[in-house]
Amino acid sequence: MSAEAMVFLFGVIIGAALLFVKVFFVILISDLEVDYINPIELCNKLNQFVVPEMFVHAFLSFIFLISGQWIATAWNLPLVAYNANKVMNGKHMFDATEIFRTLGQHKKECFIKLGFYLLSFFYYLYRMILALVNDS
Amino acid sequence: MAYSQPSTPTMRPASAQAPHPGQGFRPQQQHSGQQQQQQQYPSRPGTPGQQGGPPGGVPPMGYRPPVNGGHPGQNFAPRPGMNGPGPRPPHPQDPNHPMNQQQMRRPSAGGASLPPSPSIQRPPMPVGGQIQNGSPLQRPPPLGGVQRAPSPMMRPAMIQPGSPGMPRPFQSPQIQARPPPQQFMGQGQNTAPGSPAMTPMGYNAGGPPPNGSMGHPGQNQSQPPTPKMPFQQQQQHPSQPPLHHQQQHQQNQQSHHQQQQPPQFQDPGVPALGPPTPVAGGSHKPKRMYPTAQADSFQNAASPAFDNGLNGGFQPAPVPGIPAAQGFGGNQMPPGGQQGSQFFVPGEKPGPNFGQPVPAYQQGLQPLAGQSLQPNVNQLTNQMGGMNVGPGYGFNNAQGGASLSTVALMGVAPKILDLETPPPTINLPANSSITHSPHANCDPSYKRSTLNAIPNDSNLLKKSRLPFGLVITPYRSVKEGDEPVPVVTDAIIARCRRCRTYINPFVKFVEGGQRWKCNMCFTLNEVPSSFDYDSQTQQPVDRWQRKELNHAVVEYIAPTEYMVRPPQPLVYLFVIDVSYPAIQCGMVATAATTILESLDRIPNDEGRTKIGIVTVDSSIHFYNLNNESGEPKMLVVSDLEDPFLPQPEDLLCNLSECRPTLEALLNRMNDMFKDTQNVGNALGPALQSAYKLVSPIGGKILCLQASLPNLEAGALKMREDPKLLGTSKESTLLQSANSFYKTLAIDCSKSQVCVDMFLFGSQYSDVATLSCLPRFTGGNTFFYPAFTAAKSEDALKFAHELAEFVSQRIALEAVMRVRASKGLRMSAFYGNFFVRSTDLLSLPNVPRDQSYSIEVSYEDNIHIPIVCFQTALLHTSSSGERRIRVLTLAIPVTTSLSDVYLSADQVAIATLLANKAVERGMNSKLDDARDALTNKCVDILGVYKTHMTASSSGATPNLQICDNLKLLPLLTLGMLKHVALRGGSQIPSDLRSYAMHLFSTLPSQCLIPYIHPKFYSLHNMPENCGTIGQNGIEMPMAMNLSSERLERGGLFMLEDSQNIFLWIGRDAVPQLCLDLFGVPNYESIRGGKTTLPTLETDFNQRVNLIVAKTREMRRSSYYPQLYVIKEDGDPALRLWFLSHLIEDRAEPVMSYHQYLGHLKDKVNSGSF
Repeated sequence: MSAEAMVFLFGVIIGAALLFVKVFFVILISDLEVDYINPIELCNKLNQFVVPEMFVHAFLSFIFLISGQWIATAWNLPLVAYNANKVMNGKHMFDATEIFRTLGQHKKECFIKLGFYLLSFFYYLYRMILALVNDS
Repeated sequence: MAYSQPSTPTMRPASAQAPHPGQGFRPQQQHSGQQQQQQQYPSRPGTPGQQGGPPGGVPPMGYRPPVNGGHPGQNFAPRPGMNGPGPRPPHPQDPNHPMNQQQMRRPSAGGASLPPSPSIQRPPMPVGGQIQNGSPLQRPPPLGGVQRAPSPMMRPAMIQPGSPGMPRPFQSPQIQARPPPQQFMGQGQNTAPGSPAMTPMGYNAGGPPPNGSMGHPGQNQSQPPTPKMPFQQQQQHPSQPPLHHQQQHQQNQQSHHQQQQPPQFQDPGVPALGPPTPVAGGSHKPKRMYPTAQADSFQNAASPAFDNGLNGGFQPAPVPGIPAAQGFGGNQMPPGGQQGSQFFVPGEKPGPNFGQPVPAYQQGLQPLAGQSLQPNVNQLTNQMGGMNVGPGYGFNNAQGGASLSTVALMGVAPKILDLETPPPTINLPANSSITHSPHANCDPSYKRSTLNAIPNDSNLLKKSRLPFGLVITPYRSVKEGDEPVPVVTDAIIARCRRCRTYINPFVKFVEGGQRWKCNMCFTLNEVPSSFDYDSQTQQPVDRWQRKELNHAVVEYIAPTEYMVRPPQPLVYLFVIDVSYPAIQCGMVATAATTILESLDRIPNDEGRTKIGIVTVDSSIHFYNLNNESGEPKMLVVSDLEDPFLPQPEDLLCNLSECRPTLEALLNRMNDMFKDTQNVGNALGPALQSAYKLVSPIGGKILCLQASLPNLEAGALKMREDPKLLGTSKESTLLQSANSFYKTLAIDCSKSQVCVDMFLFGSQYSDVATLSCLPRFTGGNTFFYPAFTAAKSEDALKFAHELAEFVSQRIALEAVMRVRASKGLRMSAFYGNFFVRSTDLLSLPNVPRDQSYSIEVSYEDNIHIPIVCFQTALLHTSSSGERRIRVLTLAIPVTTSLSDVYLSADQVAIATLLANKAVERGMNSKLDDARDALTNKCVDILGVYKTHMTASSSGATPNLQICDNLKLLPLLTLGMLKHVALRGGSQIPSDLRSYAMHLFSTLPSQCLIPYIHPKFYSLHNMPENCGTIGQNGIEMPMAMNLSSERLERGGLFMLEDSQNIFLWIGRDAVPQLCLDLFGVPNYESIRGGKTTLPTLETDFNQRVNLIVAKTREMRRSSYYPQLYVIKEDGDPALRLWFLSHLIEDRAEPVMSYHQYLGHLKDKVNSGSF
């Protein structure tokens, strides 16, 4: 198995994980809307995933960077920058006191990220298969 | 008593006027007494020239010699009959008095004067079986088919306050004052067809005016100025006058019915004659000759261009052939008005336009045109009245209805007295409440809506651009004279099984009273049997007497289903800062004394109240208050990283049991720490342990903090940076600096713990961060900048507020939910609470008189005539009962934009906008908040101009708005100039944060003066001001907030519900200084925070009474501090005072008139 295939295999696994995390976010946020969960619990649950998610995504981008996958890096960099910006402004966490005011925004962001990870996932899958086919 | 400075130097010394020093002041008193007397007896001969200055203004000459020097005492003896033949209180036996009528009709359902109707024949004993099916209980369709013919332009019945066919046994006086158009029509039907004068003569178009009375003002009301008139008026008829005309309607209607109708104008043949008027009541039409209708019909009929414009782009096209109108209209006249004016020009020949009214009219039959026309006309007639065009043409009568119509804003001083007027009446259809109780709808002091007639769909709301929301003060205090909230004690709580709405006066009983139909979701619910039958006493009971069916504000005693645990006792835990700055400023001593003195006032009905004290410097001190020795035991925890409770119990103990220990501790508290040099403060860990202490029960943590916390968790830094002030980064200073407090607030909220902050700062105290805790736990923040107890005024203010605060009967462990009729949703919440779910607010404590604002949005169009908002506050009262307070507000729905505008409540709108602006200012930028305010104002004015006035597009020389919104620009300007939102780099962020906190918590009653202070002139106030009159202490008349009013020798008072300023001019006469302050001259008056001395002089006593009244007249626990401002005194104080005069120009914000000009430019350039 070539290095490229390895990198994209890693990408597929991470991409799937990120996808699951986002689905989890979306489910919880919809739960909040229909009042199955209270905002404090929601924030406690979600906040423990926020930083790991960002970190894993940044790490994946870094792997792409060092392995010279320029397209994949370029695809991921804007999100890394966006996340970094949020962390620096201290706005990355879900705030239980503000959650209802910012719910629409969070939801939109979740859906966009979900779409992004979905596209990434298939792209990595495609590149992995391509690399495997090229190998053999 | 006039203390005016004489304007002529020769008259300056008081003694020059007075024959001898002892009487130095007398002549003036006599003089003003003279004035007073004249006001009350205007016809008194011999004194016509003494009418003095304008009321509220300043007499030009303070020291005029007494003209008619009567004995002062004689002049001012309060005589009961002084006011002449005023409205007499109703005699209890007088059945004709409206008040008595209302009371009398109630049991018998239908007074003598009203025809009986099935709709109100309520069985006196409506036990289930007696109620007929087919339902006397059900309201018939709002408008009886007989009286009301279908009309395409008729407004839906839902918005009519009443209908002709329906008796309105318990209508409120307001409703009586405003009969709906339909009623008018109905009566017209009754009278007109029977009148012997019905001849078709009136339709001889072009015939001569009947009595030749065209120019006669008295008759012009009942007669059209031209023979065309009846015809045109029929055409106009279908467009119903908007609400604000209704009063006029009635007045005119009465006069019409009394006056002889000229036979030429009866029109039985209307339908035959072919005008497309499908209105059955059209026959009475010619009687309605009041000016608006005249103008209206003229406009409608005579100017096709106008009509076309209405349907299309509403272009103000000049009418050909009437150039004279231009000159006539003058500057004030908008284009539309010019068109209207042509008809009133004497000698103007009807132009060719008059010949073609019908096509224009037919176009005008579009409902939209009808709606839009009405305000046009209104505004037009108004202007006519204002311009004095009318006299001689009957148009001066139009001024009578001006109070409910469009007013021009520019060029006139705002009528600030209208800030006190109640909100526009909620015109519910008759019989909308089942019991017709006068208390069926919510009092505005509990809950008010920004719109008292709600658009039926979101597009109409969007079009109106008015903010839609509720201002709720559910737990307002009940002062003496207020009606207490009725309590339902039998634990029968009828709620809708689907939407959980509580039964209220607006539900309907159906199926013979066996079931009730929810007024929110229309589900049928069983009526509890105990509504009609008391199983304990085995007696039938009258369900109509039930409080929840008679009162909009009601409290239920909740059964156990409403409890997750037994009702908690009151718990007060004081967390007192005892570090060096706190001791130094005297806070600890004052607090200890105050707590000690108010121990008796702390609510302790059942002896369950618990109290505890924690003091904190660089370590946390707990006190065991419950040991045998009677001596408090101090337990010190210095582990700040992981604070723990030194012992599991006795740190909080029962107030009655540990009273001696507690008193011993409080007596000693200041001495224990008086030599401290410790500047550390570990507020964060202290709050954490306080939370641990209180959280098993829930309760209140009162945090008294005089220094910036600087140790461990929750340590704060001095982050105020003058360079940031006034920039877009400023809002970072208004946000919480540390997430610790927010996290703690969430924990507290979860465990029903409320934190209140009393902040004392000689320096920066980071109000922004520390007020986070109260904000999310339903608490309150008090801020005392530069507090020193050495100043007795500071100590007094703090002591008063703390004592009031701890003795309030608060509500505990509360949740609040607002339900609304289908189609409406609560979308945003402002105030001090934690939003626990999309519509559930959690309030660990509900302090008295805290206000919450809620924005409402549309989910769906509304198809019902009345919408309801029901606020339920489930709480534990301080006496340990679980209770539910339910506030029900019913508001009619309308399809007409003019109704929406005419029912808008400027005070509620200002309150909601203030909350939104604060939110915006904190979360994004202050600039954005200010722009949003101005833009909202521009939107409202622009929409009004486009859709409600004759001048739809294009520039207009003036700004117009309906009467009930005329102070909105002033209030907006007040907010823009307020410390909370004002631009500039002068305002420390602490003060701004605190002002923002007040913006979002003060109820409207206090918030409006906070935005727009009250300004009085005291040196020349009428003699009865400051004395005890019929309504308590008489207050002077409030003046406009402009420095034009200030005089060099005057004494003025300004109060904004948080502070009171006494401004004294530098030329104040020594007598005034002597009388008020007891000092010989102006120079010896001390400025700044002060207390007025109590002197024997009459003037001093009156001013003292006015100050006292100001301090207690509102429902709040704040104690306004008194400042004396000398005209040439401390410049900072002077500027502070002058910054309240919001009508003046104060850099960088414009003056009121400049602001109006700015708004006008934006309105004229924008499109709406």
